[in-house]
Amino acid sequence: MPGTINRRAVRWLRGQLPELVAAGAISTENAAAIERHYGSVESGGNFGFVILATVGAALVGAGIILLIAHNWDDLSRAARTVMAFIPLLTALALIAFVLMRRDESRPWREAVALFDFAAVATAMSLISQTYQIQGSFAEFVRVWLLLCIPIVYALRAGVGAAVYVIGLIVWLSAREMAFFVRTPNPMFFWFLFLLAVPYFLIRYLENRNSRETAALAIVMTIVLVFGLGFTADFAKSDLGGVAFAGLLTAIYLCGMKLFPRTDGRLHSVTLLGGIGIGVTAIILSFESSWHMAREVFWGPRTAGANAALALEFLFPIIAIGLAVFDILRRRFQFSLVAALFPIVTAIIWGVANLCAIPDAQHLNVTNCSFAAAALMNCYALWLGIDILTRGIRSNSAARANFGLLLIAAVAISRFFDSELSFVTRGLGFIVVGAGFLIANILMFKKRTTAAT
Amino acid sequence: MKTLRLGIFVLAALAQLSVPAMMAWGRMQTLSHGRVWKFKTAPIDPEDAVRGRYVMLRFDAEDKYRQPEQLKSADSIYAILKEGADGFAEIDHLSSSPTPADSAMKVEPGGFWDEQQRVVFPFRYFWETEKNAPAAEAAYRENSRRGKENAFVTVRVRNGDAALEQLYIDDKPLTEYLRAQATKK
Repeated sequence: MPGTINRRAVRWLRGQLPELVAAGAISTENAAAIERHYGSVESGGNFGFVILATVGAALVGAGIILLIAHNWDDLSRAARTVMAFIPLLTALALIAFVLMRRDESRPWREAVALFDFAAVATAMSLISQTYQIQGSFAEFVRVWLLLCIPIVYALRAGVGAAVYVIGLIVWLSAREMAFFVRTPNPMFFWFLFLLAVPYFLIRYLENRNSRETAALAIVMTIVLVFGLGFTADFAKSDLGGVAFAGLLTAIYLCGMKLFPRTDGRLHSVTLLGGIGIGVTAIILSFESSWHMAREVFWGPRTAGANAALALEFLFPIIAIGLAVFDILRRRFQFSLVAALFPIVTAIIWGVANLCAIPDAQHLNVTNCSFAAAALMNCYALWLGIDILTRGIRSNSAARANFGLLLIAAVAISRFFDSELSFVTRGLGFIVVGAGFLIANILMFKKRTTAAT
Repeated sequence: MKTLRLGIFVLAALAQLSVPAMMAWGRMQTLSHGRVWKFKTAPIDPEDAVRGRYVMLRFDAEDKYRQPEQLKSADSIYAILKEGADGFAEIDHLSSSPTPADSAMKVEPGGFWDEQQRVVFPFRYFWETEKNAPAAEAAYRENSRRGKENAFVTVRVRNGDAALEQLYIDDKPLTEYLRAQATKK
């Protein structure tokens, strides 16, 4: 069958190349060409297999956990202890085998890494059960993650890295659920997150256009957003809006800078950042977002709370730094309006706090909440129009429609927010709908002209 | 590069093996050399996805202990145990050092309200196999209600470490009690 490749035969052939060259049967160039040919075939064709192998390993791991945890009444403590280590020893032996013999096979590396993750969890949970070792689920996840991360580096396992960073969210959520009154200090999240960053950088420097690098970047971006949410909640400073504006703008700018595209399209990370900026602007356009909660930190402010506060400032600073750096070099392609988001949010935050009335603190309302929300509405509209015009200029229907969607979202939010008459609301909807139609017709015409 | 990755693997393998091994070793020491204390239980059972199932315990000695001084969570706190007239363990006082070694058990500060500080014991769950857990929980609840307090646990204490050893119902270890109940039916 054409296109079907016998991988064993390929491996044999590639192993033979040095000998063939030495014997003079083929030239070094020929050998290199054969190597390139099969190299590209192997790396391109096995993505599906990577997924299947990984899912398979995860299922086997989960199956083992269930089987062992299900029933082992009649075993002594010592026998249970030995059994707890069997899957782990098997996984470690498999890793050693893969590192020695199958290091070039990504499906092997990913599958064995996940099998090891499952085996570590099995060993720890079975020992806990056997010896009645207490402790929270969150603590269990934290130790498990710390034990698993080195394997990501040893095996170059991208799926493993994604599982690790998603595990961080599980850990944060488990802690949040365990503490009912106080928000637990989430600063250790940042340390755990940083442990995965070098792996991403290695992958990025190796091949920034690979699917693995893109997927990992997306997962890490989403995890960062969650992490910042927990941190802002812990810092209790009312600065969450500014911090999110900074993070999402930094993501947008990093996407532009780290994953430039020549075809006029946007990388997924840039898109995520851009969509995040739009959504956050809409959320902040509600007046209730600017009722400064003034949550009180229980007791004196701890070092952890201060570090969380510093982190809230860090992302806006990074975003502004990135933008200014490119603007000064006059080599920027990003939307200036989007890049201004953290500065605009910070100014609006200042406005909202300008006229805080001490007497009204218990109502969590400042007199300037309305002014702040109105300013954010103007910004969201400006952003929508900017994205729309950029979309039309670059002939990107997706971007133009996103710009329109943003304008529509601002309009719709205000319809629900305010006490406008039905006629006004109806007219508003007609205007927004007509806007969509006109922009798309314009775009379509432009494309047809370009095609002919 | 590959040597570096092999090095990382060897270190990771050692860590992955030693963490569960250390968990087991510490408990083995307490279980074989620690002093036995009996704690009367007082009742509940949710489910834990990763660790099979458990019976959730409450203790008489934990519920009864109160002190007026508030505790800070940063400190290491040990409950110094004494045997009550009924043979069950009670908290005599709290201390910052784990002495005497056979009766000091590390505890966590609990809630502070009504000018009273509570403490939380380091064991709350009695792990059971999936098969036995529902029956175990029913038996525990049946024998821990007011008027029929017939359940206790044995705990081994050594150098501040407290290892839950067995859950007794009607003076029989849980598994034995469940087996007896099953043959009765």
